[in-house]
Amino acid sequence: MKRSTLVAIGLCLLAVGFSRAAAAQTVPAAGPGRLEVSLGALWFGQLALGSNDANETTPTGGNLKIFSTSTDLGSVAGLEARVGVRLLQSLEAEAEASYGTPQLKVTITGDIENAPDVTATESVQQFTIGGGVVWYVPVHAASGRLVPFVSGGVGHLRQIHEERTSLETGLYYHVGGGVKWLLFARPRGLVNAMGLRVDARAVVRTKGVAFDDGGHASPAVGASAFVRF
Amino acid sequence: MKRPLAAIVAAALVVVQAPPAHAYLKFGVTVGGQSITLKWTQTPVRYSVSSQGITDVPVADFQAAVDRAFATWQAVPTATISYQFAGITAAQPGRDDGLSTLGFQNRPDLDRVLASTSFLVDRVSGALVESDIFFNTAFQWSVAPAGATGRFDLESVALHEIGHMSGLGHSALGETELRDGGGRRVLAAEAVMFPIAFSAGSVAGRTLKADDITGITDLYPEAEFASTSGSVSGRVTKEGQPIFGAHIVAFDVARGTGVGGFTLTADGRFSIGSMTPGIYILRVEPIDDADVDSFFDEARNTDIDFRVVFVDRVVVVPKAGDTGEVPVAVVRK
Repeated sequence: MKRSTLVAIGLCLLAVGFSRAAAAQTVPAAGPGRLEVSLGALWFGQLALGSNDANETTPTGGNLKIFSTSTDLGSVAGLEARVGVRLLQSLEAEAEASYGTPQLKVTITGDIENAPDVTATESVQQFTIGGGVVWYVPVHAASGRLVPFVSGGVGHLRQIHEERTSLETGLYYHVGGGVKWLLFARPRGLVNAMGLRVDARAVVRTKGVAFDDGGHASPAVGASAFVRF
Repeated sequence: MKRPLAAIVAAALVVVQAPPAHAYLKFGVTVGGQSITLKWTQTPVRYSVSSQGITDVPVADFQAAVDRAFATWQAVPTATISYQFAGITAAQPGRDDGLSTLGFQNRPDLDRVLASTSFLVDRVSGALVESDIFFNTAFQWSVAPAGATGRFDLESVALHEIGHMSGLGHSALGETELRDGGGRRVLAAEAVMFPIAFSAGSVAGRTLKADDITGITDLYPEAEFASTSGSVSGRVTKEGQPIFGAHIVAFDVARGTGVGGFTLTADGRFSIGSMTPGIYILRVEPIDDADVDSFFDEARNTDIDFRVVFVDRVVVVPKAGDTGEVPVAVVRK
C-alpha cells in the first residue's frame, strides 16, 4: 500500500513540476457552475489478495504441505466516465463510474504428488460508481494550458464472477493527482473548453473479491478526454 | 409390532490398513428400491457406555472421553445434531437391543481394526434405530490429555466412530506410506473421518477439520446456514469417458481449508454440498495409494489410473446455489 501511494504522489508531483514549465500561456479560467464531462481509459494495477497453503495435519500436530496457492486480481484496462461541476474556481466535485474485466488468478504450485503447476483463472466484471473532488493548484489554474490537480474520492464497488453465480460488493477510496491539458478554451459559448486529462491514483478497495474486509491498495492510471460546458 | 430390522456393519477405523467397508461421504440404505441417506431422524441421539470388557481405563474415564468426543461433534455451529448420555450399562455393543452402546470388546481376530461402528436400520422406513461402537481391547488405549506412548487415544478414535454413528462415511483427505511388514502408515490427514488412524500416542485426531464439519452439516444442516451455503458440482472424464471414484478436493483459497468428495455416479458426476461460499480451486486425484476398499464396494469399477490434476479455472461457490457443472478431464498415468 505504501509503495502504491508513493507512486501516485510521485506522479502527482511530477505533474505539478511539468505544469510550471507550461504555464506561460493564458487561457480563460473555469468559473463556478461549469459542467465538465470526460470519457476515457482507466488502468487498475494488480491486487494481491493473499496466499495459502493446503496443509494436512501430521500425527504430531504439525503440517504437511500438499500444495501452495497465491491469489491475485489481475491488472485491467477499462473505461471510465466522469461528470464534474465546478464549485469554486479551484475546486470541482465529480461523479465517476468505471467498468473493467480483471482476471481473478490463483497460482497453484508445489503439489506433493507432482501435479503440474497451474494458474486457475476466471474473468470478473467490475463496476465502480462514486464521487470525489478535484482541487486545481491555484497558481496555475487561471493561466496555464497545463493545469495540475490533486484529487480524491470514494465509491461503491460491484464485482460479478464469470459464471454470474456470485456478486461481491465493496467500497473503494482513491487519492492522487494529475494534469489537464487544455486543447481548446474560450470565455463564451456552450463549450467552454476541451482537453485531455491524465492522472495517477492510489486506490484502496475493501471487501469485494477479497479474503478479508481490510483494505487492499493498488495503483491506477487514467487518461481521458473532457469537454467543459 | 416388531419391526423388520437390518444390522449393518458399516465402518471401522483401522491401524494400518482398512478391511472392506461400505463407506461414502454419507451412508445410504435401500428401502423399497430407493436409496436414502442414513441419518438420525430424532435427536438428541441417546447413547450408553458399557462397563463391560474395559481393561486399560476406568469406566468413568472411558465415559468422559466419549462424552468429549460427542460434545465436539455437537459443537459444530452449522449442524443441528445433538447427543445425550443415557447412562452406564452392562450391555455390550453389537446387541440389537434398541440401545446405542459404546463399549470394549476383545477381538484379536481383527488385528488391524481399532474400533468399528454398526447400525440397526428399520427396513420399512429406513430409519436409524440403533448404532453401536466397539473399541478393540486387542490394542492398548489411553485417555491421558497429552496421549501416552504406544497407546491409541480413545477420544480421537471415538470422534471418528461417532462420525460414522452420525451417518458419515470415510474421507480421503490424507496421505499414507507403505510400512515395513505390510499395511500403510498415515503421514498426515485433514479429516477425522480418514479411514486410517494416526499412530499410537498421537492426539492430533481430537479436532474436527473443515471436511468433517462440512459432512456433518450436510447431514444435519442448521437452517440459517443451509439457506446461505452453496455447492460445487461437476463431471470427471478420462479420454471422454466418465470415471467412478475420482477424489475431488475443493480448496478454499481464502480460508486455506479443503473439503473432499467423489464421483459417485456412472456418468462421472460429483457434488459437494453445504459449502461456505467463496473462491475455490479443484484438485482431482485417484484415491490415495489404491486404498479403494476403504471407500467403495469391490464391485464398483473405481478408476485409479489417472494423474493428479488441478482444474484450470477458479470455481466460485455462490450463496444458496451451485457452481454449475465444472467439467474435468484427466489423463491416464
